[in-house]
Amino acid sequence: MRFHIEVEHPERCIGCYSCVYACSRHLYSTVDATRIAVFVRVNKSLENPFNIIACRFCARPECALACPQGALEALPEGGVSLTPSKCEGCKNFDCIQACKLGALSLDERTRTPIICDRCGDCAKFCPHDVFRYEEMKT
Amino acid sequence: MSPRLSRVVRINLAEKAGHIQERPELFNAYLGGAGVASKLLEEECPSRVDPFSPEAPIIFAVGPFTGLLPSMVKTVAMFKSPLTGNLGESHCGGHFATALRFAGFGAIVVKGAADTSSLVTIEDSGVRVEAASSLWGLSPLQVEKSIRSLNQQGMESVASIGIAGENGVYYSGLITDRYHHFGRLGLGAIMGSKKLKAIRVHGTGEVLLERPTEFKDFYEEIHRRVVQTEEMRKYHDLGTSINVMMLNEMGALPAKNFTQSRFDKAEGISGERFLEALLERKISCPGCPVGCIHLGGLRTGFSPEHELGRREAFEELELVPYNYEPIFALGSNLGIGDASSVLRLIGQCERLGMDAIMTGSVLAWLTEAVEKDAIPRQEIGDLKPRWGDAHTYSQIVENIALMKNQFYKRLALGTSGAAEKYGGRDFAVSIAKNSPAGYATGYGFVVGTLVGARHSHLSNMGYSIDQKAVKSNLSLELIAEKIADEEDWLYTYYSLVGCYFARGVYDEETIIKALDLIGLPKTGKELRDLGNEIFQRLYRFKIREGFNLAKEEIPKRMTEIETPYGRLDPRRLREMVQHYIRFRERQGLHLKREDEALAELLSTTAET
Repeated sequence: MRFHIEVEHPERCIGCYSCVYACSRHLYSTVDATRIAVFVRVNKSLENPFNIIACRFCARPECALACPQGALEALPEGGVSLTPSKCEGCKNFDCIQACKLGALSLDERTRTPIICDRCGDCAKFCPHDVFRYEEMKT
Repeated sequence: MSPRLSRVVRINLAEKAGHIQERPELFNAYLGGAGVASKLLEEECPSRVDPFSPEAPIIFAVGPFTGLLPSMVKTVAMFKSPLTGNLGESHCGGHFATALRFAGFGAIVVKGAADTSSLVTIEDSGVRVEAASSLWGLSPLQVEKSIRSLNQQGMESVASIGIAGENGVYYSGLITDRYHHFGRLGLGAIMGSKKLKAIRVHGTGEVLLERPTEFKDFYEEIHRRVVQTEEMRKYHDLGTSINVMMLNEMGALPAKNFTQSRFDKAEGISGERFLEALLERKISCPGCPVGCIHLGGLRTGFSPEHELGRREAFEELELVPYNYEPIFALGSNLGIGDASSVLRLIGQCERLGMDAIMTGSVLAWLTEAVEKDAIPRQEIGDLKPRWGDAHTYSQIVENIALMKNQFYKRLALGTSGAAEKYGGRDFAVSIAKNSPAGYATGYGFVVGTLVGARHSHLSNMGYSIDQKAVKSNLSLELIAEKIADEEDWLYTYYSLVGCYFARGVYDEETIIKALDLIGLPKTGKELRDLGNEIFQRLYRFKIREGFNLAKEEIPKRMTEIETPYGRLDPRRLREMVQHYIRFRERQGLHLKREDEALAELLSTTAET
């Protein structure tokens, strides 16, 4: 199953990181707050509201446009797919710089960007309905 | 990294250096948290050391499920308490535990003292000790805002003491991540004596799941129980402040220095009132979907020349965390029935880095002492405390943190320390030198706080056992035994390290399954034995450092206040303690009895 996911109510976030941990369990079978595709950002103090960052599934994704190797490809339903074999060798990570939201981060192990695969676990584990999500038809 | 912990960060502040030590056997045998900390304390703390000596260690430990399972979010600290002169143990939430784990560590040992204000930084790559004079004198919030990174990866935590800790107030705490506390027994003062202003922990590592499919199913089940079931509903909704009205109706809400167990203005400081008038946000510890930290909005006008006649538009909003204990301590126990005044006092304790329960206890004792003319007038000065006068209380709190003069320095010793100097012991509400939490529930609470290794209501749930005992007519002997069993089991749980609020979710069967999933199989008996072993180790430490349960007095005030059992009978309280001592001795823990205590007293008198 794949989902359309949107960060609809970041102001509802209590900073429980349930989305972050769900993401790392899904992507890498780890518990991790680094290799993830959804981020809980603390703005200098826990006093300030959290910011939640996740892929917006752009129709014209700048990350893919920035990739000189064609490793990131725009998908018809929005968002991107990664062909890891084409990604090797790049040192600039223009894709990561290109996303002005900061939704893309680098997997230090494989030296490739971490791509959301729309599993929906972040939204499912959120206890405060920060995310809106629905199953994709195709 | 493996889900099994093994590494200890060792820091020597005098040498401005730290190194990493591999101690897998420690974590295999004692899991983590209270188990590992108690062992490290035993190894590191010299006998009868002065709490403020550089040789006195500070230990922090996290557990095997830190970051891995819901609500396993706490860090246990152990140290020598300046307040009790004995075991210091305090648990704290926030990002600290998870950040330490993601940095690859299970525990920290801090020794020595720096010659100037210092900052310790712990990262995946190791540990640094740096001079940080520019941080000295700042509030924990200012420190957090100054040293937390922008746009950090992984998990980061900032823990800092306030001015009260710098000045050595015996009940100052360590504040982590703005809203969480290592409170109660004076860790702040110990950090201050070592000139250790703050600790920043930043971890970017990962924990590899060895049986991911099973683990994911298991996680989902626990998550569901924490989020959706009745077991934890109270903490999601009003939070523990729900207790104000519940205890008031039961006749167990202490008011005005424990002279009353019902407060006529309870509604004004109820959880419902806080929700309606002040609640702005809730936040959580990372890895806990509950969000039990309730933040109330404190509105303060800017300086008059900037108000431009529209005061409401130019107010600054400060968010202050509240829960039941500070509401009782700085509310009903001081006769304050107005939620925003209580929140203001809590906010002040936050900024100064003082324990709210003890601060309230000292103020309550002082108010009664002044009423009874127990303190020479010239000592008190202009600030005369009166029940309900939040403004004067606030000024006194400030003066205590600053240790403004001899009088305030004595108040900085805590309730029993101040009463030793000035008299008024009959109304000093202090159990084994700690101030009891807000429960006039009866025998279980008083005895539980007295016998608990850290003299906390969270030691053994005495207050909760009371509420059941009154209904079902449990014998006092049975209550004493239940207190012992609860404390043992909680020490197992505090080795994992789970949040007290989630204890109902993690029953024995659940913990056995969880340990098996990370390759640390234990039987139920092994787990129960472990809790008992930790308790015994801590008690041997306490006895070595001079604690004698048989000689500890139960404050007179505790037998004067009405409880759901009626007034507590001093003779029956003593019998309960004696029964508890015999129960523990049958388990092989040698606690001194009254006759031995007397013999010891006679022999020391003979020597002098």
